[in-house]
Amino acid sequence: MKKVLIVDDSLSMARQLEKIINDSGDHTCVGLARNGAEAIKMNHTENPDIICMDMNMPGMDGLTALRSLVLLDKEVKVVMVTSLGGVGDKFTEALKLGAKNVLSKPFEAEDMLRMLREL
Amino acid sequence: MAVKFFGQFLVEKGIVSREAIIAAVALQEQRNLKFGEMAVSMGLVTSADIDRAHKAQFSKDMKLGDILVAMGILNLDDLQGVITRQKDTHLYIGEALLLLGSLTREQLHQHLKEFELDQAPYVSERVELPAGVANGKIWEMTADLTYKMITRVLGLHYRAEKCHTVSTLGTNFVMAALDLSGDVEARYLLSVSAGVQKMVAKAILREDSVESESAEILEDCLMEFANVVCGNVAAKASQANQVISINPPVTIHPPLEGLPVPPGHTALCFPIHLVEGEKMELFLLIRS
Repeated sequence: MKKVLIVDDSLSMARQLEKIINDSGDHTCVGLARNGAEAIKMNHTENPDIICMDMNMPGMDGLTALRSLVLLDKEVKVVMVTSLGGVGDKFTEALKLGAKNVLSKPFEAEDMLRMLREL
Repeated sequence: MAVKFFGQFLVEKGIVSREAIIAAVALQEQRNLKFGEMAVSMGLVTSADIDRAHKAQFSKDMKLGDILVAMGILNLDDLQGVITRQKDTHLYIGEALLLLGSLTREQLHQHLKEFELDQAPYVSERVELPAGVANGKIWEMTADLTYKMITRVLGLHYRAEKCHTVSTLGTNFVMAALDLSGDVEARYLLSVSAGVQKMVAKAILREDSVESESAEILEDCLMEFANVVCGNVAAKASQANQVISINPPVTIHPPLEGLPVPPGHTALCFPIHLVEGEKMELFLLIRS
């Protein structure tokens, strides 16, 4: 069972992701961080296999957090889940910073799970 | 399901690797000259002219080409010539992947067809605005994407009434608001009745009933829906080389008398009819 940390300021989005992940049978949600700074702390305390992270959050945003996460942990596997995925430079910036993939909202549950299973 | 560009579609579907896309984007950055670089390479301006124009941009909100014309360095024919050369020599992501051997031409054609099908629901349809609204195409696209997401994300049937300008944003149960900035400045407001708020929450949470959900979660669902719409607006704008940034959403509980439109703003109202007795309106509060 792979452990997934969700990083999203939206409670409803986090609920939706948690449901998809916990219903998958091979992944489980180990925590919810509400911004980038919490994500960095929880990556240390929860030691997840994968982090699903929003891009547009108050406080430390997703791309800033991604940069720090990759600096601190070269093995970290981050999938950005964002409504901004279709903005070309945001997408390529996320990949260049080390995200394993970028999933645009709205998405289908199967797309999310396929992405997680590829990691 | 969302607005995206071809490279992202290929990575999302697992057709090419993230490394292949990063390499292809690097090749694009190397081959696709920016306006100033192209103008210099065509011998129309010097690097020193470009430096002067960049400095002038600090105090004038103009594109580089326009400022070069305003400074008398470039004429209008040459400006058009540079833009045309940029378009004619542009290396698209598919061609870059082809050059790098990440795709064959047959695969490229096949996946382009799949991509067109994937994006077909987001092809813009005409939305009529009142005369004289600046940046009309962006607001038409914003309303159009809102309508499309009502169908695709919320799974609701709707009837859109003609857009009109208002001096007061009419009251309702709650509004989700997001500020858009960049090439345009506006506030996106989605105003809904209590019943519509629950319909939105059911769709966002993928639940049959939301009766036991807290007010915080119900409001959060409305904000998330507005956030998804605006993210896709930013994506669609980026395909037309326009930059739109979005701030995280907030909710507003408007007073009974509604919210007055601040001076220096134009407010567009797009009434959206769902089921009997429930009210939804999109307002765009555009800074003049």
